[in-house]
Amino acid sequence: MTQPTTERTETVTEQRIEVSGLRKRFGATQALDGMSFTVSPGRVTGFVGPNGAGKSTTIRVILGLDTPDEGRALVGGVPYRRLRRPLRHVGALVDAAALQPSRTGRNHLLWLARSQRLPVRRIDEVIELVGLAGAARRKAGGFSLGMRQRLGIAAAMLGDPPVVILDEPFNGMDPEGIIWIRRFLRSLAAEGRVVLVSSHLMGELQGTADQVVVVGRGRVVADAPVDELVAAESGGRVRLRTAEPAEAAAALRRDGLAATVAARDTVTVTGADAQRIVAVLARSGVPFAEVTSQRASLEDVYLRLTSGESEYRAVLDREQDR
Amino acid sequence: MSAALLAEWTKLRTLASTAWLLLGTAVATIGVGVAVVAGTHQSAGSGVVDTTALALTGIDLGQAVVVVLAVLAVAEEYGTGMVRTTFAAMPRRIIVLAAKATTVAALTAVAGAVAVAGSLLAGRAALPAGSGSVLGAITHGPALRAATGSVVYLVLVALLALGIATAVRDTAVSIGVVLAVLYLPTLLAQAVSDPLRRHVEQLAPMTAGLGIRATTNLSALPISPWEGIGVVAAWAAGALVLAGLLLRHRDP
Amino acid sequence: MSAVEAPTRPGGDRDGGLRSALRAEWVKFRTVRGWLIGLGVAGLLCVLLTYLVANGIHSGTCTGTGVTCRSGHPRVPTGPGGEAVADSYRYLSRPLTGDGSLTAQLASFTGRVSTNPVNVAPSPSATRPGLADWAKAGILLTPDTTPGSSYAAVLATGRHGIRFQYDYTHDRPGRGAPAASRWLRLTRHAGTITGYESADGVAWHEVGVAHLAGLPDTVRVGLFVTSPVSFHGQTGRPTQATAGFRHLTVTGATGGGWRSRAVGTSRADFYPILAAGGARSTGDTAVLTGSGDIAPAVVQGVLGTNTAASSLLLGLLVGSVVLIVLAALFVTGEYRRGLIRTTLTATPKRGRVLAAKAIVIGGVGFAIGALAAAVAMPVGDHILTGNGVYVFPAGPGTVSRVVVGCGLVTALVAVAVLALGVMLRRSAGAVTAGVVVFVLPYLIGASLPGTAETWLFRVTPAAAFSVLGVLPRSSLVDYPYTFANGYYPLPPWAGLLVLAGYVAVALGAARLTLQRRDA
Repeated sequence: MTQPTTERTETVTEQRIEVSGLRKRFGATQALDGMSFTVSPGRVTGFVGPNGAGKSTTIRVILGLDTPDEGRALVGGVPYRRLRRPLRHVGALVDAAALQPSRTGRNHLLWLARSQRLPVRRIDEVIELVGLAGAARRKAGGFSLGMRQRLGIAAAMLGDPPVVILDEPFNGMDPEGIIWIRRFLRSLAAEGRVVLVSSHLMGELQGTADQVVVVGRGRVVADAPVDELVAAESGGRVRLRTAEPAEAAAALRRDGLAATVAARDTVTVTGADAQRIVAVLARSGVPFAEVTSQRASLEDVYLRLTSGESEYRAVLDREQDR
Repeated sequence: MSAALLAEWTKLRTLASTAWLLLGTAVATIGVGVAVVAGTHQSAGSGVVDTTALALTGIDLGQAVVVVLAVLAVAEEYGTGMVRTTFAAMPRRIIVLAAKATTVAALTAVAGAVAVAGSLLAGRAALPAGSGSVLGAITHGPALRAATGSVVYLVLVALLALGIATAVRDTAVSIGVVLAVLYLPTLLAQAVSDPLRRHVEQLAPMTAGLGIRATTNLSALPISPWEGIGVVAAWAAGALVLAGLLLRHRDP
Repeated sequence: MSAVEAPTRPGGDRDGGLRSALRAEWVKFRTVRGWLIGLGVAGLLCVLLTYLVANGIHSGTCTGTGVTCRSGHPRVPTGPGGEAVADSYRYLSRPLTGDGSLTAQLASFTGRVSTNPVNVAPSPSATRPGLADWAKAGILLTPDTTPGSSYAAVLATGRHGIRFQYDYTHDRPGRGAPAASRWLRLTRHAGTITGYESADGVAWHEVGVAHLAGLPDTVRVGLFVTSPVSFHGQTGRPTQATAGFRHLTVTGATGGGWRSRAVGTSRADFYPILAAGGARSTGDTAVLTGSGDIAPAVVQGVLGTNTAASSLLLGLLVGSVVLIVLAALFVTGEYRRGLIRTTLTATPKRGRVLAAKAIVIGGVGFAIGALAAAVAMPVGDHILTGNGVYVFPAGPGTVSRVVVGCGLVTALVAVAVLALGVMLRRSAGAVTAGVVVFVLPYLIGASLPGTAETWLFRVTPAAAFSVLGVLPRSSLVDYPYTFANGYYPLPPWAGLLVLAGYVAVALGAARLTLQRRDA
């Protein structure tokens, strides 16, 4: 690839996104309310929260598009607006639909490349990278949402930046595209870049993100490695399927276990592993069909963390303002 | 049709710019009219001045605001893609066009009536004392014709703009085209000599239509007042028919 | 080159950031085919409408100071500098070979003004007494009495004292004493002509010197009288003047006797005269009566207001309207689609983005405006001339001034609308404001009485259209240089400056909103 790669490895370690104490108010809505977190290189950081939680506003502040009322956001220790040829430092996908429909995809990349003094061959490289080679010379107005996302990612990668920020890159992607993005994000992290990916659907990030920053109502609700979060949430839950749920539950409770009948043929048990349950049931002579030890999904964590944090009203208000 | 009317009325009513534009129509028309009337004393003695027509000079500017209102009612829907929602809700596109036309025409008529009445009243107040000219009462025959005709003119201009905007589908280009159609033939007529001048003045919507403002010296007009309004009506009808045809044969 | 560079220190453009932003904006503009087509349409419409306007103007429709119009236009002399001139006068002269001089005292100077209405041919019987301000009587030397020839003269005027004038546009005032009974002297020494005045014929004062190039050995020298159309208000009235001279003294080789001649007063000549007049001389006295003018030609009532640039206005306006739409789209399109965020992410220095956009749209506007004018002017000129219409001659300097001026007007208009677009973020407002501001003064101006419309072209952005004002004007000719007569109230550069002022304010406000506002 380009000459930069060799030089980047040393610089990348210094790159970080630092967001501290951001506050911003749009009319009656407190969009950001003390948002603080740090994004480190070498891993994929998920940035999740319900619609209106302040994800996009935070990203716009990081990119110097919006000015916060309080607090600041630094990229590699510098405010974005002070970066020279910023796309060589930070690649961002903010809104994939933001294209002039009558300009071709390639020409969209061309003006961006010109603004950063990047060589034209870099355009073909990123087009190849995102798999748009067949469509790049067509007018962007005819692109599907998935193609627009790919074009947006190509634009973000144009300057081969050590910091990549993607706002909702999964939107409108077909399953194949989703798999591609996941792999692509992993490879970016593996190259030692800072990768921040926002999404309002936690499931999209499962198996991709190493770290998640969960936000609600304009501030961080949780900021932890994915494994930790999931383990804490799982807490040893076992699901038991049986034709006689009442008997099974009674037998388990007799043995000191917390069992509840969840459905006509299902009992959930907490505080015990599957082996012990099987043993108890065998002893009591209760028939059972299946015992599954349940691991919480990232989705579960997210739903619990963000319940009551929804800000749909705020979203509606803001969209009307725009 | 009544559901379509209600829908279009709701859309236009909830567009933040509508109220401002309606107000703007009246303010622009009355403002320019007053300024022109107040400035007439400088030429006292240069013959009989048609003060009614002079007080209505503001329509030159007011019509531009009407054009914006009408264009926005259509072109913004294309700009935001909302037109697909509209056509999904009301698949008979001609009905949609008719409903839009009715709504815009009604709003323009109200704003136009306020603008014209305001111009004539303010014009009478602004007329310098002792300038020898009087502004006839609005109920006086020719003045009544000028007043009602001017409102009709504004409504027709709105329909012309609506039709062109439906055909063009872009706000900026539509406004450019409509304002060019209105204003530039007037300048062309000023620049060239007869017989071309007379043809232009008889055929162009603004030169033909705004003869309705005149209350005296009608023989100097390129075309009689109501015939002139007929010319504008033909332009508006032509634009609407074109819009209807394109709507029917083109995917939104 | 390296991907990761040190962040900039604030201030300065040493890294060529503006250049990069400029190249990016230029790519943006040229890669939207619709905009390029629009640009072409702007240029074509400009040329096409100029053609149309020129084609709609025929001779024979002239209005004005009582001269019946014929097919084709009357004869208009061209002066040594290539400019249109009036050269009609009564001349009592004799040849002069080699060096020499003529001296005379102006004994009397009176005039008459036509009282006929403008639509009735003037006649000597319908007059009242009155001497035109620029009525002229004095001594004139010329190699040739063909209208438009080179000359030098020392002369008395109705209200402007003694003057020394040569080749129509050059003028030097004398001492400011009243013209009556002044002594005048004109001497020739090779190619140098000198004019003197004196109160008593003894103490002489030099008024001016002219070096006439290519003066033949034998020239004509003599007395002359002329009297121009007099304007009071908008109405021009032909006049006539009568001057009595005495103490005529000639030195040098003057062959033959005095000969009286009416120069440039035939029916084919354009300049309106009251009557051709005549001359009488006895001994060393002479009385001449004449009508006409020796000065730059400006009188549009006779000639019409057609210049190489006059049929350009509508085309320029139409081209501007197209350009206004393009300039609005160039920026509001980015706002509508959110592309402005991508732009500001790539170039976070917002003032730089605005500057780059302004330079691109301004440059494009200049190119198309100048190109269209450069093509349209010869077209208009050609068509008008073909229609038998008189077109005031324009030298290459004037033509290039109009071409550059048109380019600057369209450039400034485009930048102004761009700034409006940044502020309003919506195309509707930017386009409407752009069109109305430039077109309306012409519409309302036509219905406005008196001086009001003059102010429209002084203080509104439409003042910039004075770049089209190439009708000659001269301080040596009394004429109402009003807008109604085709004269813009401001000189071209001042009109451009007015527009530039508006543009600067709009750009400043746009920069401020862009800086302050969240993208």
